Amino acid sequence: MFAYDLRLALDSMKRHPGLSALMVLAIALGIAVCTVTFTIYHAMATNPIPGKSSQLYAVTIDTWSAERPYDDDKPDLPPQLLTYRDAMYLYGARAAPRSVVMYKSGALLLPERAGVKPFNAQLRVTSHEFFPMFDVPFQYGQGWDAAADEGPQPVVVLNHETNAKVFGGENSVGRTLKLGKVEYRVVGVLQPWAPSPKFFDLNNGSFDDPEDAYIPYGWGKALEMPVYGNTNCWKPEGGDTYQDFLNSECIWLQFWAELPTVADRDTYQAFVDNYARSQKAAGRLPRKLNNVLYDVDQWLDRNEVVHKDNRVLIGIALLFLGVCLVNVVGLLLAKFLNAAPLTGLRRALGASRRDIVRQHMTEVLLIGLTGGALGILLAVGGLAGIRAIYGSDFTRSSYERLTELDPVVVLATLALSLLAGAIAGLYPSWRIGRTAPAVYLKTQ
Amino acid sequence: MDIKPILSALRRSPTGAILVSLQIALALAIVVNSLFIIVQRMELINRDPGIDVPNIFFVGFQVASDKYQGEVTMREDLQILRSLPGVRSATVVNAVPLSGGGSAASMHTEPNEKGRTGDMNYFQVDEQGLETFGARLVEGRNFDATIVTKPARNSSTSPSGILITRDVARDMFPGESALGKTIYTGTNQPVTILGIIDHMHGSWPSWDKVGNVALFPVITDETYARYMVRAKPGQRDAMMKMAEEALGKVDNGRVILRVRSLEYVAASTFAEDRAMALYLTVVIALLLGISALGIFGLAAFNVSTRTRQIGTRRAVGARRTDILQYFLAENWLITTVGVALGCILALLLGYWLSTTFEHPRLKLYYLVFGVVGLWGVSLAAAFRPARRASMVSPAIATRTV
Repeated sequence: MFAYDLRLALDSMKRHPGLSALMVLAIALGIAVCTVTFTIYHAMATNPIPGKSSQLYAVTIDTWSAERPYDDDKPDLPPQLLTYRDAMYLYGARAAPRSVVMYKSGALLLPERAGVKPFNAQLRVTSHEFFPMFDVPFQYGQGWDAAADEGPQPVVVLNHETNAKVFGGENSVGRTLKLGKVEYRVVGVLQPWAPSPKFFDLNNGSFDDPEDAYIPYGWGKALEMPVYGNTNCWKPEGGDTYQDFLNSECIWLQFWAELPTVADRDTYQAFVDNYARSQKAAGRLPRKLNNVLYDVDQWLDRNEVVHKDNRVLIGIALLFLGVCLVNVVGLLLAKFLNAAPLTGLRRALGASRRDIVRQHMTEVLLIGLTGGALGILLAVGGLAGIRAIYGSDFTRSSYERLTELDPVVVLATLALSLLAGAIAGLYPSWRIGRTAPAVYLKTQ
Repeated sequence: MDIKPILSALRRSPTGAILVSLQIALALAIVVNSLFIIVQRMELINRDPGIDVPNIFFVGFQVASDKYQGEVTMREDLQILRSLPGVRSATVVNAVPLSGGGSAASMHTEPNEKGRTGDMNYFQVDEQGLETFGARLVEGRNFDATIVTKPARNSSTSPSGILITRDVARDMFPGESALGKTIYTGTNQPVTILGIIDHMHGSWPSWDKVGNVALFPVITDETYARYMVRAKPGQRDAMMKMAEEALGKVDNGRVILRVRSLEYVAASTFAEDRAMALYLTVVIALLLGISALGIFGLAAFNVSTRTRQIGTRRAVGARRTDILQYFLAENWLITTVGVALGCILALLLGYWLSTTFEHPRLKLYYLVFGVVGLWGVSLAAAFRPARRASMVSPAIATRTV
C-alpha cells in the first residue's frame, strides 16, 4: 500500500514539477533558517556539565552599597562576584564537601622552544578542587593539593593547547616553565577541554576558551597578580597598598560550592546567611540579607548567556517558517483541487476517503522530507558562511563552537520538517478527501 | 472597473485568497520589524566615535625582566615610536576605546559625593593623548608633560587636572561652562577641569553614556600595558610593522606581545551587531523571494487551470485589458487585505519585542516602507501570470478538453 501511495505521490509531483519544486524550496528555506538559528541558540543554551549541573552552585552575597543596588536593571539580585574577605571566609570554613575560589589573571610566558614567540598566558588562579569539581579531564599527571595552595608551591597545570605550543605535546610533567618571574613545575596536562558556555567564569566572554594554564590560589596574593576579569567597587579602597585592596569592599572573586543533595544545599544556604548576619552585626553589608546560590542552569540564566538577539531570531525564524508553510498550504490546495477530477475518478472506482487522504498525505510528507533534507544542506552552507564571515581570530573558536551542527538539532529539524509538512498538508488533504465523486465525473 | 465579479468569485472559494493574504501579512510583520532592527544596528555601527579610528594602532607589551624601569622605559619606547617617519603622535594608554574593556569613575561637583554626579569612562594618557585619539578641544587647553604623574600601583591618588567631554560637562554643569571648575573624587580629592573635548566615544559602545569620556594625565603601571600610536594618513600598516621592528631591537626589559589596529578591534566589537544586521537582511531577502515565488506560482497555476474560463470570457466580449485588469485587481484586493492585517501583526510583533527584549518601540513610518515594498512585490509577482491570462485566445473556449 505504501509503495502504491509513494508511486502516486511521485507521479503527482512530476505532473507539476515547477509547483513541486517551489513547495520543496519553500519548506527547505523555512527549515534552513530555523536550523541555523536553532543551532546557534542550542549551542548557547547547552548545559556544559549536564551530569553535575544541579550539584554545583555559584555562591553570591549582596555586599553592595545601601544607596543603590549592584545592577539597577535587576535591583533584587546580588552581584555575581565576591569580596576577598568573604570568599576567604567561605573557603576557609569548609562548609561544603568541595569548594573553589578563583579568578582569571595572566603572566608573560617565555617558551624555551625555538620559534615560539613569548605570549601573555591567560591564567586561572584557583584553589585545588577546581579540577575534580568541574570534571576536568587530565591527559598527563594531575592537579595539586591544599598544601600547594597554601605554600604557595610553584606548580602549574597546562591546558592541551599550551602544552602543544610550549612542549610540542609531549608528556611535560616534571618539566619547568617560567610564567612572569616565577619558575613553575608542570604537574598536570589537560585533555582538550573547553566547556561551552564557559560556565565557571562568565566575566570576560561566555564562550571564551578556558585559560592557558592553572596555578595555585596562593600565588594571587603572593605575586599581587592582576585581575583580568571585572573588579567593581562601590566604596573607596581606603589605602594604597595591595592589602588595602584585599580588605576593601571591591568584588572580583568567583566562588563555587559542590553540594550533592538538596539538604546540603539548604544547610549551606543557612551557613552563608548566618555569616552574612554576623557581618551585618559587625557593621558591613548595608543592604537587606540577600545571598543566592545558583546551580549551573540558573547561573547561565542569571548571566544572560543566551543573547537577547538570539531569542529574537528564534521568534523571527519561526514566523519565517510560518510564512513558508502558509505558502505551501496555498500551493498544495490549488494543486490538489486541480487534480480533483482524477480523485473523483478514484473515489468512483472504490477508493475510500481515508485512502484519498492517505495518498495525499504521502505526497505532502514526501515534499516535507525532501524540503527538510535540502534545508539541512542549506543550513550547513549558511553556518559555514557565518563562520567564514565572522570567525576573526578574536572570536574564531567561539564562533566555531556556536556554529557546529549537532545531531540533536538535525533530528529536531527532520522532525520539524515532517511536522511542518503534516500541518501544511492536513487541510488540503482533508478538503480533497471530501470530494464528492459525482461532481467531477459529470464534467469528464 | 467593476469589482463585484471578483468579490463573488472570491466568496465562492476564499481559502486560496485567505492563505495569500495571511502570507503577506506575516511577511510584512517580519520585514518591518527586521528592517527596524537592522537600521538600529547600522546606526550603532556607523556612529561617529570622534576618534581617528583608521590611523590608530596599539602596541601591547609585558614586563619580562628587571631591566624594565617603569616610566623611564616607557618614555624610551615612546621616543622610538614618535621618531618613526609616518607617526604623528604616541602615548601610553590604560585601555582600548571601542573594545568593550575599560575603566570608569564617578566624580561630584561637591565634596562627600554631593551635588551633581558625572560618570566618566577615563583613559590614562600622557601629554600626547589628546592628539593621538584625534579628539578636538572646544575649550581650555591640553595638559603638558609637567602634570603627567605616575602613581604607584594600587594608589588611589587622583590627577590634579583632567580633560572631559562635553557630555560629562553637560551632566555636571548644565547651562554653564565647566572649564576651570573643581570637582571631587569619591575620596574627596579636588580635580580641576582643564579642557572640554568636543565629542569622543569611550570603551563601551552599548553604554548609553558612551560619550562620557575623560582623559587623565597619568601613566599607568600594570605588568601588561600598551602604547597607542596615531599614524599619518595612509601609513598605519607600514608603521605597525616598523614599530614592532624598532621596539624589538631594543632590550629594555619588556616584550612586545602584539600590534593591532583600532579598526580591527572596533570591527570585532561590532561583529555581533553586524552579524544580526546581515542575518536579518538575508531573512528579509529570502522572505520577499519566497513570497513573490509563492504568489507567482499560485497565480500562474490558477491562470493555467482557468484557461477555458478565460477563453469563454474573451469569446463573449471581454477585451485583453479586461482580463489583465481582472487578475491584477484580484491580486490587489488580496494584497491590500494582507497588508492591512500585516500592519496589525507588525505592531503586535513590535510590541512583543519591545516589552520582552527591551527593544525600542517600532517607529510607525517603517510600516510605510513595508507596505509599499510588499505591494510592489506582490503586484510584480502577479503581473506575468495576469499577462499570460490576457493572451489566452477566445478560440480555446470552443475546444473540448
